[in-house]
Amino acid sequence: MSQVKIDKVLVSILQRRFKSITEEMSIALARTTRSPILCEAKDFVTGLYDAKGRMLEQCENLPILAFSLGPVCEYIIQYFGDDIHEGDVIFHNDVFSMGNQNNDVAAFKPIFWQGQLVAWAACKGHQADIGGAVRGGYNPEATEVWQEGLRIPPVKVYERGRLRKDVWDLIFANIRLDIVAEDMRAEIGSCVVGERGILKLIERYGLESFEAHKAHLFESTEKMMRAEIRGIPNGVYHGQSNCYYDGKNPGSVYTIRVAITVEDEEITFDYSATDAQTPGFVNGTYTSSASATLLTFLQMVNPAIPHNDGMVRPLKIVIPVGTILNAAYPAATTYGNHLCPNNADAIMRALAPAIPGRVTAEWNELLCSLTTGIDPRKKVPYVDIGFMGLKGGSGAILGEDGYDHIGMIDASGGVLDQDYEMFEQQTPHLLKRHEYWTDSAGAGRWRGGLGVITEFVIGGDDTQVVTFGDGDVEPALGAHGGGPGTLNQIWLQYPDGRKYVCTTKDLVRGVPQGTLYHQDAGGGGGYSDPHERPAAKVDREVRDEIISRQAAREQYGVALREDLSLDEEATARLRS
Amino acid sequence: MKYKIGIDVGGTFTDFLLCADGGSSEIFKVLSTPQDPSIGTMAGIAEMAGSKGLSVPVFLDRVSAIVHGTTVTTNAVLTMRGAKTGLITTPGVRDALAMRRGIREEQYNNRYRNVEPVVPRYLRRPVGGRLDYAGREIEGFNEDDLRQACRLLGQEGVEAIAICFMNSFANPAHEERAAALVAELLPQAYVSVSTRVVPSIRFYDRLSTTALNAFVGPILRRYLTSLLRKLDQARFGGILLIMQSNGGVISPQAAQDKAAATLLSGPAGGPVAGIAYGQALGQADLITVDMGGTSFDAALVKDGQPLVTTEGEIDRRRIALPMLNVVTIGAGGGSIGWIDEGGLLRMGPQSAGSLPGPACYGLGGELPTCTDADLVLGYLAPDYFAGGRMPLFVDQARRAIEEHVACPLGYTVEQAAAGMYRVINVNMAAAVREVSVKQGADPRDFPLVVAGGAGPNHACMIALELEIPLLLVPRESSIFCAAGMLMSDLEHDFVRSYPCLLKDLDLARFREIFAGMRGQGVDLLASEGIEEKRVRTVYSLDLRYLKQYHEVSVEVSAQEVTAGDIAAMAARFHPEHNRLFGYELSDTSTPVELINMRVKTVGVTDKPRLSQELYHGPDASAALKGSRQVYVPAAGAFQEVPVYDGARLRHGMRLAGPAMVEQVNTSTFITPEYRMVVDSFGTMTIYLPAIEERILGRNVP
Repeated sequence: MSQVKIDKVLVSILQRRFKSITEEMSIALARTTRSPILCEAKDFVTGLYDAKGRMLEQCENLPILAFSLGPVCEYIIQYFGDDIHEGDVIFHNDVFSMGNQNNDVAAFKPIFWQGQLVAWAACKGHQADIGGAVRGGYNPEATEVWQEGLRIPPVKVYERGRLRKDVWDLIFANIRLDIVAEDMRAEIGSCVVGERGILKLIERYGLESFEAHKAHLFESTEKMMRAEIRGIPNGVYHGQSNCYYDGKNPGSVYTIRVAITVEDEEITFDYSATDAQTPGFVNGTYTSSASATLLTFLQMVNPAIPHNDGMVRPLKIVIPVGTILNAAYPAATTYGNHLCPNNADAIMRALAPAIPGRVTAEWNELLCSLTTGIDPRKKVPYVDIGFMGLKGGSGAILGEDGYDHIGMIDASGGVLDQDYEMFEQQTPHLLKRHEYWTDSAGAGRWRGGLGVITEFVIGGDDTQVVTFGDGDVEPALGAHGGGPGTLNQIWLQYPDGRKYVCTTKDLVRGVPQGTLYHQDAGGGGGYSDPHERPAAKVDREVRDEIISRQAAREQYGVALREDLSLDEEATARLRS
Repeated sequence: MKYKIGIDVGGTFTDFLLCADGGSSEIFKVLSTPQDPSIGTMAGIAEMAGSKGLSVPVFLDRVSAIVHGTTVTTNAVLTMRGAKTGLITTPGVRDALAMRRGIREEQYNNRYRNVEPVVPRYLRRPVGGRLDYAGREIEGFNEDDLRQACRLLGQEGVEAIAICFMNSFANPAHEERAAALVAELLPQAYVSVSTRVVPSIRFYDRLSTTALNAFVGPILRRYLTSLLRKLDQARFGGILLIMQSNGGVISPQAAQDKAAATLLSGPAGGPVAGIAYGQALGQADLITVDMGGTSFDAALVKDGQPLVTTEGEIDRRRIALPMLNVVTIGAGGGSIGWIDEGGLLRMGPQSAGSLPGPACYGLGGELPTCTDADLVLGYLAPDYFAGGRMPLFVDQARRAIEEHVACPLGYTVEQAAAGMYRVINVNMAAAVREVSVKQGADPRDFPLVVAGGAGPNHACMIALELEIPLLLVPRESSIFCAAGMLMSDLEHDFVRSYPCLLKDLDLARFREIFAGMRGQGVDLLASEGIEEKRVRTVYSLDLRYLKQYHEVSVEVSAQEVTAGDIAAMAARFHPEHNRLFGYELSDTSTPVELINMRVKTVGVTDKPRLSQELYHGPDASAALKGSRQVYVPAAGAFQEVPVYDGARLRHGMRLAGPAMVEQVNTSTFITPEYRMVVDSFGTMTIYLPAIEERILGRNVP
């Protein structure tokens, strides 16, 4: 391979092509899947990997999937050894062999050029159901993996181009909804799109040149990442955060502890001091936790770094088995992705002193609900994930306010709200309110992102509400003198007037028609002293009812007259 | 002699195409006047009159039609200088406009800002009343709320009011009541009602479109009033037509009522012109590409029809009105070349614009641009840019490339320029791929129709990258959009949502909705002087499999509509779904769901004929004006390449690459892989030898 002369322009071209191929794979998948989690929320990733399973490029529509295909690809290569053939398609979801969540089922397609394995196309999407005890996969009562869903270790559903109908039927006989089989067919289609793209490139530039330039691309990307790490002072930085309530023991608290070692151009995230796993489903897998680490760190570096193997080479992530971030077999782990906000807090707390200009104040933590039932209008079941309700504000950063209503850091604005009118078509509910929450943002010279309040009236009988998340005990904290955001909460007001406040890992059955569902998604933390925020800006936000007149005075030191005009003298007094 | 004029107001230049009845046409260009674009427009009209030795009134008296494309509304949004706008909406949902469904496009960028909503929060006023998902009233309309809102908005001095209520797509009653009251309470305000602008389901999409319409409505009204007054003073007695984003034209009155329909009209002329040229050449499938100073537009034409999307955006704000599906990327003559932190060469999206412009302009630009690379590589002649009116400085281009690209890469200036040329071509090829592949089309089956000043120098390389065997460079390629405007028909689009399972369709209601929309179109066209017998109606349905989230729009015939032939309509859906997405479910029991019904009424206009010329034989030597050193990518080296004068090329003349063809406003690089023959319209037909027989058979008598 060393004979190939490197053409730096071709390296640029390959990088551009890898990116557009993974994007085409994503377009194909978004357009062909039917579950809203896939086609609307885009909870999927498409990627290309080389023959050894190293990432060529990835289009992770949700950052939490940033790290989720590569390790599986390596595992599959090891698992099948020389039994990998042209025309094979392999499914996988097993969380104890590098899967990240039971519902995230991946399809891998090996790509052959003249009989030789040269690359892989893969995608992984969150499936609407994966069997197990509870419809939709979230089972807060689970204590082991079999109560959560079907385990799929690497399995060939196509072998040398032939469908293994028996295997296919075995898998889908264990899954409730027919659309899952259709959506997995769409995943295979997406892999074919990736395969065609790679073969075209090799046909055009030759395998030898392809390999040499790919290796050069990895090196150049690695160089970019190393340059970013060099910008962080050497040292060992410690951070920790709490996860509240494991779904079993009220009042339980688990602590994530990270030690981040920066040594010149390399960085290690070591979670060895993190608390042991929980008895319930509030547990991470290595892949989901490492993805959380990676996505948090990627927000602190140059966003233009290509996503390939070179990006992750200078990073090391150590998560011992048996901790809450990497539970031991056969633990329940469906909640794992949602430990990301807590994990992110620990990392941000550790690195904020070292690189204050690159770390945001804290983000609102996730609190999500899943509403299921029978739509009395059509007599058909529905599943609704409360995307619009769950999205609070992001933390502010030096020089910029937080982003309003963006949601959990593991999505970072990648998930769309349900459209209100489609929501009323597809569920029997009536939307009453989905609005910015006044005074929810942490005060600061740069304020946190705003949270939202959501209310709807439940329109069917025997509705089931499942909640999962956190953020009802500790708000998103401000940074460098900024104030905290507000807390999360979900409550139900029954038609008889009774009010039930949901826990953060709840399963409420038999919710009657006419119940009011209410959700507060809190704001993000503010950055720097609120008294330094320009008073005219505060005034404008009071007129916009984003900040109350009282909060303007108490938190920002801004005095407004009855007509909301700025009282400059009184403001100066308050701020002195 | 009677004339028609196509006018395209761009960021830097306003382009004019003057077509005479006989089919001959001339190109004019004047500098745009962004503060009041009608000044530039009138200046161009004066120049055209002058060229004919006529006074403006005498000249305009001979002009039967002016078709006008304008970026007035586009710029109002991009610069946030629209009208002060208020919004009246259902309580509890007023923030949907700002939230944009909670998206942050750059997920890893914590400094990425949300876009400013076109209506600030304190002007978004809730008014009580509620319809359910089927349009049934569950809470009566609250007039007191509305009066209070109008009082506040009046005090604030808003110029425009947007009205959009939940589920109004199913029942416009509350919106109509609100509109009537607003007209009474705030008679000066421009009123934009969601069910009149785009009565389709999806609240944010309708809300955003309606608010944008209000935001730009008064701006367009002001501009057109001023232009019409000036034309009137100059005794223009013909008709003025305005270009829309959907590729059709409408009267100034209709444009004012639905101002949002002009928001992305700028690039819409391209595909329309492409269709006209393609038609003349018997080419129903093609891709138009337009490379200007800062951006590159690509659009697909299939079966003689441009692709239309209802999922468009302007500056990250949704527009649900149908518009031509044009992919735009930041790649143009002004695109800047730079080295990223990993040492890789990148081009754009930053552009040097027209000021300071590329380094070779000598106007103070120091960063290397695509134009600088083109100059160093010999694709541009230093003394023949803009027909020789603007000298280019090779030394300054070389210096910029050396410092910012060649040195960091350890390349020579020539190698660096060749790299820049290659990278930007790959970027543009990716955009062409996106506009074709996303639609399930293979770009190899689509000839490239090339436009824009910088386009023809890059087109062969884009085509090679995509293995496209045929390119067409029309004589008017540098003012392609202005040409397209003269080839547009009058078009009005209508939509109604009727969500139901196709099998449960109430046929009487179905026919009534279609007939109502068609009637509206016929009335509008009548007011624009089109008789009913010249109206063409296109019916289509947005369909999907039950529980899908995206619809596929399929055209249905008038007979199927009249007969209520549901099976036939469903039968059109399955194969289209398969073509786009690779599978269909006609063999399963999955029901098909109807979401929207659409009608397009087209009033066919008289188009200028493309003039044809006589066959001159294959010998192009009469057009040869010399030769120069030009970089030939396939050879990886400079070669002495013949240079032809485009103005002297005649029908039938043939040449083989490598060759340069220079025209006043553009130059074309034909790479060695391609050959070229001039067709009877003066279009350069550039082709691979493999298809020579077919091409010559068509172009040589």
